[in-house]
Amino acid sequence: MAAGLAKRNEEKMAWILLGPAVIIVGLLIAYPTVLNFVLSFYDVRLDGSKTFVGFENFKNLLTNPDYYLSIWTTVIFLIGSVAGSTLLGLGTALLLNRKFPGQNLVRTLIILPYFAPVISMVFGWQFIFDPVNGIFNFVFADKLHLIRPDTNLIGDPQTSMWVLIAFTTWKYFPITYLLILSRLQLVDKNLYEAAEIDGANVFQRFSRITLPEISFVLGTTILLRLIWNLNRFEDIYLLSPQIKTLSVFTYEQAFTGVIDQGLAAAAAFIQLALAGVGIVYYIKKVLKW
Amino acid sequence: MNMKNRIQTKKVIANTFFTIAVTAIVIFCMFPFLQIISVSLKDVQDMSNPSLIPSKIHLDSYKEILGFKPMNTSQDAAINKILENPNLTDTQREVLFEKYEKKNPFPFPRYMLNSFIVAMAASLFSLTLSVFAAYALARLEFRGQTILKRGTLFVYLLGGVILMVPLYQMGASLGFTKTPAGTFIYIIMIYIMQTLPLALYMLGNYFRGLSRSIEEAALIDGCSRIEIIIKIVVPLSRPVLITVFVYCFIIAWNEYLYASVFLKPFEDLRTLSIALQELFHSKNSIWDRIMAASTLTLTPVILFFFALSKNMVSGLSDGGVKG
Repeated sequence: MAAGLAKRNEEKMAWILLGPAVIIVGLLIAYPTVLNFVLSFYDVRLDGSKTFVGFENFKNLLTNPDYYLSIWTTVIFLIGSVAGSTLLGLGTALLLNRKFPGQNLVRTLIILPYFAPVISMVFGWQFIFDPVNGIFNFVFADKLHLIRPDTNLIGDPQTSMWVLIAFTTWKYFPITYLLILSRLQLVDKNLYEAAEIDGANVFQRFSRITLPEISFVLGTTILLRLIWNLNRFEDIYLLSPQIKTLSVFTYEQAFTGVIDQGLAAAAAFIQLALAGVGIVYYIKKVLKW
Repeated sequence: MNMKNRIQTKKVIANTFFTIAVTAIVIFCMFPFLQIISVSLKDVQDMSNPSLIPSKIHLDSYKEILGFKPMNTSQDAAINKILENPNLTDTQREVLFEKYEKKNPFPFPRYMLNSFIVAMAASLFSLTLSVFAAYALARLEFRGQTILKRGTLFVYLLGGVILMVPLYQMGASLGFTKTPAGTFIYIIMIYIMQTLPLALYMLGNYFRGLSRSIEEAALIDGCSRIEIIIKIVVPLSRPVLITVFVYCFIIAWNEYLYASVFLKPFEDLRTLSIALQELFHSKNSIWDRIMAASTLTLTPVILFFFALSKNMVSGLSDGGVKG
């Protein structure tokens, strides 16, 4: 009887403590998620007026060649940026997994790109590739004559994707590096010594010992990076707005040019469904509370 | 002896390779920062000089950005031409003069203050709310716990684009976006929403790791849960609270998407991220000014980062990653 009462009190207490946070999450996340789904069936105006149109938005979306183009762009961006940040992150983690003078400073400096505001950093990157003043054209056109002097790597739609992939690799490999490094530091050093005595070379030691130990963390960082880069917006839009990934497509439908917020809601819903599969898997398998 | 020499040479080669590789990675990471700072200190004539070190340190762009020195703009020349028009009456001239002279085309300190207020308010709210909520999630048993935890994690992984349309529509239909004050409150609420899941997750995990024995003793002494949180848990968690606060602050400080959706109509409310983008597309766009503004935007993040570098780095492996 007393235990039951204590339990009920505890539950009451829990809801008092949780109340404000739950209200915020409910009103500003759960409700809008549902509202987004509802709005995708309406013709929505900026002033808030709306008319029910059934599946019209989805039909318009799925017959719009620009939408398929943006899906394709997103796929290329995802493959490039996830591969880039994973490979560089893994390489850096393997390299720095030892004690060396100045290690704290090096580890700190490597993380800095992740925290830096995108809006500032895109200007740095744009300047590097600026056709007139940039160091990239200075080295590769003026000095090495490998590219034409008027090359505009960011401005040219043919090549801007490469710069975007380089930029997102630069900004997000620190996370992959850090998560892999913290896992590497848990690997038993004796395993390597034993393998070395048995005559295993560097590659054998990597594939037989390191890879199995870190495969879980490697898989989860790749999944996370896919989810996050799918929803990425400002990095792309601010560095090179001509690259129309799904997020940029949706943003432009919702707020620029011929505004169609219902269509944007439908696009956002499909994107949520795509990301949702990965997210649910990640929550169930990886995150622990 | 020969064998020993060979091992020695091998070691030297390995160490050289290691040093070169580490240096290359650090340069890769730092170069864009150095580029920004370098250009911000260069004169316009010096811009095409590929060296990172300016031939002469030039602080004018900082003075212009911070309002110590008027910006020379192409707009000024156009206005002067209009003012020289002999057909204008003196009163007309005065009105025009007033209109254009008083207005700083780019009130950077104002934008910085806006960013600071928004980020500060959002992260303080987020931290306070999540201390209590995370404690409940970590320590108390109640129905709906699993759903609540999973829901939090779900949002923690979501991007802003997904909720952009409904949040805009809600803001419009509730009337928030009609007034500057409403918009300001609404954007702070949105930043609380964006930072809360991260704070909940990090604090929840941290609180779970704290020893229960002190809390149990306090409960027996008749302390309430709220007293326990304020008097025991918070003092024990000071470093992690500071780290979480800084993460939230940086997320809000760096945010662009929602700022561009809500703050563009109100010039006085703009935060740094949209102000910088406007500057880039405006007539006042000169590389040295843009880079000076970028450097100033970076400064608080870098200061926080180096002041707390150890916590900032280790916090990331404990779930402090957003995006």
